[in-house]
Amino acid sequence: MNIQNVNVNHLVHAYKVAPWRVQRQWIGSALLAVVVLAMIATLYLDVTSHAAIAGREIQDLTASISANQQVSADLQTQLASLTSARVMEERARKIGFRPMTSAEAEYLVVPGYMALEPDILSSAPVPQLSALTIPPEYTESLLDWADKQIANSARGAP
Amino acid sequence: MRQQYANRVQVLSAAMGLIVLAIIVQMTRIQNSPEAAVFRQQASNYAYELRTFYPDRGEIYDRNGHLLAGNQSVYEIGVDLTTVKDPHAIASAVGVELGRDYAQVIAAIQSPPEGASYVVLQDFVDVEPATRLQELKEILQKNAEEGALGSLTGLEFKSHPQRSYPEDSLASNIIGFVSREGRGYFGVEEKYDTLLAGSPVQTFVPTDPNKAFEIPRVLNGTTLVLTINRDLQAAAEQILDESLETYGADNGVIAVMDPSNGEMLAMAVTPRMDLNQFWNYASIYNKASDFNPVISKPYEPGSVLKILTMAAALDSGTVTPGTTYLDTGAILVGGATIQNWNQEPWGVQDMTGCLQHSLNVCMATLSTQMGAGTFYGYMDSFGFGHLTGVDMAGEAAGRLKLPGDADWYPVDLGTNSFGQGVSVTPIQIMMAASSIANGGQTVTPHTLYAMVRDGRQYNVPAQFAGSPISEQTADTLSGMLAVSLESEGSLALLPGYRVAGKTGTAQIPVDGFYDSTQTNASFIGWGPVDDPQFMIYIWLERPSASIWGSETAAPVFAEMAEKTVVLLDIPPDAIRQGLAAK
Repeated sequence: MNIQNVNVNHLVHAYKVAPWRVQRQWIGSALLAVVVLAMIATLYLDVTSHAAIAGREIQDLTASISANQQVSADLQTQLASLTSARVMEERARKIGFRPMTSAEAEYLVVPGYMALEPDILSSAPVPQLSALTIPPEYTESLLDWADKQIANSARGAP
Repeated sequence: MRQQYANRVQVLSAAMGLIVLAIIVQMTRIQNSPEAAVFRQQASNYAYELRTFYPDRGEIYDRNGHLLAGNQSVYEIGVDLTTVKDPHAIASAVGVELGRDYAQVIAAIQSPPEGASYVVLQDFVDVEPATRLQELKEILQKNAEEGALGSLTGLEFKSHPQRSYPEDSLASNIIGFVSREGRGYFGVEEKYDTLLAGSPVQTFVPTDPNKAFEIPRVLNGTTLVLTINRDLQAAAEQILDESLETYGADNGVIAVMDPSNGEMLAMAVTPRMDLNQFWNYASIYNKASDFNPVISKPYEPGSVLKILTMAAALDSGTVTPGTTYLDTGAILVGGATIQNWNQEPWGVQDMTGCLQHSLNVCMATLSTQMGAGTFYGYMDSFGFGHLTGVDMAGEAAGRLKLPGDADWYPVDLGTNSFGQGVSVTPIQIMMAASSIANGGQTVTPHTLYAMVRDGRQYNVPAQFAGSPISEQTADTLSGMLAVSLESEGSLALLPGYRVAGKTGTAQIPVDGFYDSTQTNASFIGWGPVDDPQFMIYIWLERPSASIWGSETAAPVFAEMAEKTVVLLDIPPDAIRQGLAAK
């Protein structure tokens, strides 16, 4: 009689004596699998819902940027109207200024003074909303990630 | 007992298994049912929407950052026919706020084109009336019974940008305008229309928030920075308007350029139009060339062209400043007699005297001595008969008749030398004269200082169009012109600043004959002579106070030059030279 036959006989005997123990083990294993699956599902749901919320926020912010740019353009144009050459001259005359003549100009030497040159007049660059700037961690699925890892391993990449 | 528990567990497991199996079967059945296909199709219909992104048109600034052309929100007001509740209420509200006819609005809502679900009642509505209508709609919605719709339900507001010009008519001839279809007309708006407008992008945009990163990025149109100085432009327009009144001229031009690099600093013309009311164009201008005569209205300039004849004669070695000749008051060229402006002889004159007294006979003598080949070769290299390449739409090339042309006669060699029988635009004369002010190098006039795109500024370098004369010739002639102004005590002189220049009085051809009572009075000048920083061109059409350029255009030059030195911070010669010496 070898050791393998002894173990089998022992299990058969144990089942005959208390079959519910083995059933409990099976049920326990099944429940463990269900719990693990539920955890993965919950995690996946959590990640995808966060991604969806972030996506919606991006959509809202994009719309908001457009609206704000339009408001900014409106205000800029209004400001330009309020400071137009004609309006400024009228205001200057109203408070007592008059155009000077060349004979009235006095020129002073200011050491180190550099005449102002026209500078960049635009606002800050528009934020990039293309896929290029979004890291793949935020766009790829779990399966995509796994595929990439496998492919990297096959190529020997770190 | 244990066996009993085991049986219960088995039954329970089987029941649970059956439930799970039923759920899986039901899920599979639902997923593959015909209704599921319909729902999937409906979902895919809403997964993407076709949208066209119109970039905002680029702005236009002057060289100091003053906005000359921007964008302002306006509204398209329409009715969503699928949700409209009370067409009469909408017609009444729109009639009151927008001044629309009640019957027309009702007809538009109740009899829309077949298949239409939305009708536009009015576009390009200003913010104020549109806001009032929106507020009215909200109030009516609030006052409606609970669960009911307000009577303006269905009235829709869509905002979009419209071109706006904060300076109204200032520099209208330079800027041009944009039609409601978004197309640029005249000036910079037309020349750089493609750059300013940007490229509309039509694409399917995902509604799925997980694909938000697929929203395309649409670059706005390129912003332009012009070389124009707004304050100098305003001063030029003011001086021009006053001059037309003072001298009784029909129309006029004042153009200011930096002769060292071709940057146009100001370009005043009459008439001008309020660019915010571009639809008045047809009632203001008779023809397109009237919009910006500086670049698009060729005319016979008269004696201002003598400086170029003299430049050619000096540069070709035909004469020197000290060369003298006996002016008899007339010369025969090509079978026709050419006389001085006063039909009098001026005796022995040197070349400075020729310019100072503006002697036609002297100029005809020089051109005939040079010969047609040399004379027209220089005129061609000065750019006459060619476009200058100024970056504004609608430039005209003028006309320089050449030997061999069907309408060229030998007498033209004489008359062309003092600006008759040749048609040029003011910008062409400025470009040609820049070679004299700029040490022999001709600059290409331009209005674009820089482009701003995607947060970066690209400056436009100066362009040179050749060297028709030597530096020595240019400096010599500048000195001669300055002396000639000083010797005659010209009204163009500006105290404290040495300027060079020349008047022009050209009779206007009427029905094939020159009318001595109708003239174009002109003046071209630059300064300071030793370091030219501005070049000014004056053209007054048909001045009635005096027909002479020396009595009309010359004082306008002095007035404009004074304004220029003040606004550009150019100190008087003595101070500037003193500073340079230190």
